[in-house]
Amino acid sequence: MTFLIQQTLLYAVPLMIVALAGVFAERSGIINLALEGIMIFGAFMGVLFVRMLSESAVFAAAKAAGDWMTLQGLELIAMLLAALFGSIFSVLLAFASINLRADQTIGGTALNLMAPALVLFLIRMIANQNTLISVDAASWFMVKKTLFGFDRTDDLGFFGNTFFDKTYIATYICILLFVILSVILYKTKFGLRLRSCGENPQAADSVGINVYRMRWSGVLISGALAGMGGFVYALTTANCTANGDVAGFGFLALAVMIFGNWNPLTIAGASLLFGLFKCIAAGYGSIDLNGDGIFLLKDIGISPNLYRMLPYIITLIVLAFTSKSSKAPKAEGIPYDKGTR
Amino acid sequence: MAENSEYVIEMLHITKEFPGIRANDDITLQLRRGEIHALLGENGAGKSTLMSVLFGLYQPEKGEIRKNGEVVKINDPNDATALGIGMVHQHFKLIEVFTVLDNIILGAETTDKLGFLKKKDARKKVEELSSRYGLSVDLDAKVEDITVGMQQRVEILKMLYRDNEILIFDEPTAVLTPQEIDELMATMKEFSKEGKSILFISHKLNEIMAVADRVSVLRKGKYIGTVNTKDVTKQELSNMMVGRPVQLEVKKAPAHPGETVLKVENFSVPSHTHKADAVKDVSFEVRKGEILCIAGIDGNGQTELIHGLTGLDKASGGKITLCGEDISHSTIKRRGLWSSHVPEDRHKHGLVLDFTLEQNMVLQSYLDPRFQHGGFIKTREIREYANDLIERFDVRSGQGPVTIARAMSGGNQQKAIIARELDRDKPLIIAVQPTRGLDVGAIENIHAELVRERDEGKAILLVSLELDEVMSLSDRILVMYEGEIVGELDPKKTTVQELGLYMSGAKRDKVGGEAK
Amino acid sequence: MKKFLRSEGMTKLLASLISILAGLLFGGILVLIVGLTSGNIGFSGALEGLQLIFAGILSTGRDAVGTLTWGFNPSSIGNMLFRAVPVIMTGLSVAVAYKTGLFNIGAPGQYLMGTMASLMIALSIPTSVVPAWIVWTLAFLCGILAGALWGAIPGLLKAFLNINEVIACIMTNWIAANVVTWAFEISPFKNNVESTKLGYILKTSYNGVQTAKLGLDSIFTGSQINAGILIAIIAAVAMYVLMNKTTMGYELKACGANRHAARYAGIRDKRNIVISMAIAGALAGAGASLYYLSGNTEFFWNTYQSLPGEGFNGIPVALLALNNPIGVIFSGIFMAMLDIVGLQLTKLTAYNEYITDVIISVIVYLAAFSQLIRLLIGRRQQFKRIPDKVITAPVDDKKGGEKK
Repeated sequence: MTFLIQQTLLYAVPLMIVALAGVFAERSGIINLALEGIMIFGAFMGVLFVRMLSESAVFAAAKAAGDWMTLQGLELIAMLLAALFGSIFSVLLAFASINLRADQTIGGTALNLMAPALVLFLIRMIANQNTLISVDAASWFMVKKTLFGFDRTDDLGFFGNTFFDKTYIATYICILLFVILSVILYKTKFGLRLRSCGENPQAADSVGINVYRMRWSGVLISGALAGMGGFVYALTTANCTANGDVAGFGFLALAVMIFGNWNPLTIAGASLLFGLFKCIAAGYGSIDLNGDGIFLLKDIGISPNLYRMLPYIITLIVLAFTSKSSKAPKAEGIPYDKGTR
Repeated sequence: MAENSEYVIEMLHITKEFPGIRANDDITLQLRRGEIHALLGENGAGKSTLMSVLFGLYQPEKGEIRKNGEVVKINDPNDATALGIGMVHQHFKLIEVFTVLDNIILGAETTDKLGFLKKKDARKKVEELSSRYGLSVDLDAKVEDITVGMQQRVEILKMLYRDNEILIFDEPTAVLTPQEIDELMATMKEFSKEGKSILFISHKLNEIMAVADRVSVLRKGKYIGTVNTKDVTKQELSNMMVGRPVQLEVKKAPAHPGETVLKVENFSVPSHTHKADAVKDVSFEVRKGEILCIAGIDGNGQTELIHGLTGLDKASGGKITLCGEDISHSTIKRRGLWSSHVPEDRHKHGLVLDFTLEQNMVLQSYLDPRFQHGGFIKTREIREYANDLIERFDVRSGQGPVTIARAMSGGNQQKAIIARELDRDKPLIIAVQPTRGLDVGAIENIHAELVRERDEGKAILLVSLELDEVMSLSDRILVMYEGEIVGELDPKKTTVQELGLYMSGAKRDKVGGEAK
Repeated sequence: MKKFLRSEGMTKLLASLISILAGLLFGGILVLIVGLTSGNIGFSGALEGLQLIFAGILSTGRDAVGTLTWGFNPSSIGNMLFRAVPVIMTGLSVAVAYKTGLFNIGAPGQYLMGTMASLMIALSIPTSVVPAWIVWTLAFLCGILAGALWGAIPGLLKAFLNINEVIACIMTNWIAANVVTWAFEISPFKNNVESTKLGYILKTSYNGVQTAKLGLDSIFTGSQINAGILIAIIAAVAMYVLMNKTTMGYELKACGANRHAARYAGIRDKRNIVISMAIAGALAGAGASLYYLSGNTEFFWNTYQSLPGEGFNGIPVALLALNNPIGVIFSGIFMAMLDIVGLQLTKLTAYNEYITDVIISVIVYLAAFSQLIRLLIGRRQQFKRIPDKVITAPVDDKKGGEKK
């Protein structure tokens, strides 16, 4: 059970944060189909940073000194860098869709094509193979009970085992960030103004809100979150490697956002659900639900392919039932032109 | 505040150009403190452009704006707000999914140090304003759930919340019932008594005469003059607005109704927004050689009625007979065999804006053997037909038949639709607000065209929101209120006042299934 | 001359050419920067990379001293024409949908379903019993059908439930990826014959099914070319005629440009949306069929976490061609050329083929607002042509449109 919860969280948390990335863009009125691409780019930059550190032997030194604070600090820096570069990459989307009023779907698609191409091109140039690896980084960053002074054999109880052993600080930071940003979106002046631009930019403009600036903010925050989410995904589920691919995770996050009706609370729930499916599909054969040595899921004999496509099917079904009462921002996807009103 | 100038706001010699058009040409507008000043002009006269300049949405090429005699620069709506200028836009600028309170504070929020909203003080202030001016609103309701009248009160409260001294009302009465209009007029007078200055944009002469102190008139982007309302008559104002003597009445001979063309019995149409029907158990008929007009305030079921008749919406009950055939469940194409339809929304239904004019001209008839053979389009025949229509109906456009419809002016777009629909030569013509947004010349043409069709024996079902049009064009009037027909009137025997009572639901007759 | 330059077609062509040139330039600059900053390539290497990017299709390899040689390369050109087939078809798929107001980002999924249907038919009916050409035709038709059905799903969802087709397409893409993986996983068609080809499906030539070459392989010696390119061209012409010369095309375009007006004119809008998506899906499915029925291509079946590039490349192909079916032939061939260029780069230099994907993405990015630039040019001309008339404010019909 501990394993299932931990694994589910590993998938659910990046999903949640990237879905929130989608929310920030769409609430400001810009459709961000490029979540996948930005994740890929953020993951690459984060992993590249870790790799460079590991080549310069910073890790080994810290590890040898048992300086886990430094290690966690470096993890944070990598996350920040991924966020920064995610933001920088999303500038392309913001510029095209806000300033040039380009088709946001096409712009997003372009970024989705560009990220893997650029990243793979660079990885091949850097590493002369298709995957960028930073050896052992994932294990350096992992929080284990030994860090808290427990012994390897100590049992921390269900709660402790689940949430303090073999976890990543990144997971908790993302959850914290998710909560803070959700509050900002609904309880602050900035949030109110941002949301108004996604609903009726003409109205926002008429009360003196700079729609362009708000939309830029929305897209840049979106890029930062997606970039960070990409790195967290690579760190926690792909052993801190980058290969120009996040396996459709960005699109899954899009599904989570739609399934969650653009609302952070339901998005959190949807992430857990879809994270669970993803986790079952990935660890299908090795999940032992109640620790009795019986691999229930495997014995049922449902193909992991089914679990993989379930999120998409469920999203479509939910859409089918709720399309009439959809809470999608009304002005999303429509370029705002100050001249036309 | 400086009181050294007679005028609180002056816009002097404003000129604003757009590619190919001079929307404002040397316009001067001076607003006195505490007056209600009307800005009169036809659609396209440049009123909105001028207001956009005042609001900092456009920068004029020439001219200056003064506040209390001092030159000011207005770069965006924030500057306008800082100068105490507020505006109720014709199309409300409200966020539908936000609450009323959020809408009022948006853009003028008070927050604590961390940027969190402090709504308590705001709520208190709004409640105070609301009770002081009798502008009742439900602060916690979402805007999408409240009536249009209340939405307008929200817009007014937005201005008051910002302590605006100069209040602009852009065509504020178009969406209101006569009673709501009276309330609004009273509120405006109250504001002016308190020393607030009001700019009232309208093309409705009655309202201007009733409430305004002075009127400035614009025509085709040019400034015509400013007069005191007590010194002029409606006819004089109308002449100033149009530039030539205007026939306020439509010239037409008495109608000679013949046999029934359209018969509607116990007809109901569901609403898109509510659970109840938008059209409830309506019965009437239209006969050859008459213009039957459906009057009413916008949103009382007229749109749904027409959509139900033409097949755009599914009916929930009742029977329609057209030229002897029961078409209650027929397809749109089948209904079109006997009827043509000038739709309410020319951009939504009337035209495919990205198609060329000639493609739009055959929108209803592209399957006609004249224009296709075995599924292949006869390009040359369509071109010839389009050219013929363009010439006969004087549809003007940049490149003739190959002009993209989007690039045409609103008046010519409407002419193209009228041409297409009238040329189909069907026994029934359904025309919904055929003159909306057009200038007087175009309106006169379309009215004359409809009268001519009537005299040729067509049955015409007209839906109009303009009382003047209803009174002058129709041979019979049915008034719709909340989805029901509440009265049948003879335009020769009734008055606008009586019509207004029916429209607002204050008066109703039992109108049976049969026309009298 | 001025008039000619200003004409609409010319503006469109120019916009596309500018996009292409800018994409190539960006690729060139990237190659230069990477070359100059990495020790093992250097200036001369970077220069070679640059040359190949612009003229890689004419590369004939290196001579004895190691300098690049140039000339007509029949195998490169033949392979280019072969690889153009699937992208022309997916390009047509995106273009036709776009003309009817739908953004078919679902081409990858439709392509996958076409692949699955074609391969399964082509490999399961023994040619010892049924003549190979019948099997080929059957497999081709089933590929078309599978694509059409898969395309019709988002169409149905949009028509009857008003679900945005972009979202529905994204979902169906990933569902397709998993369905196809699953189906092949339990199928007997996995390549267990060659040990290096694990994860691949057998070539259709294993069952004796392959597209006729019609002698094209003797013109383009050493290439994979076959009659598929002719079928793709025929399909493009057919789509052009359908969209521009028939009442069905008129109806489809009317629905796309203004669904409400189409309904008003008695056109059955829902049916047309479904038809349009089904045609788009059929074209994408046909593209997959033509690619895999060639007999010398292999399908990597374990695709659940990636979608075929041919599907997505339909988008730039259509955009570059401005959704004109005839133009798609040329932009498709151009895309395929970039593909070949990428291979030459990998083969001849220290660079790799992903640079061409970067170029393609830059072109798509530019195409996103080249439409806007054209619109601006077009608008200014229209203003100039009717100087003496009042122009109504730009039409605010965007709000009426369906949300993306």
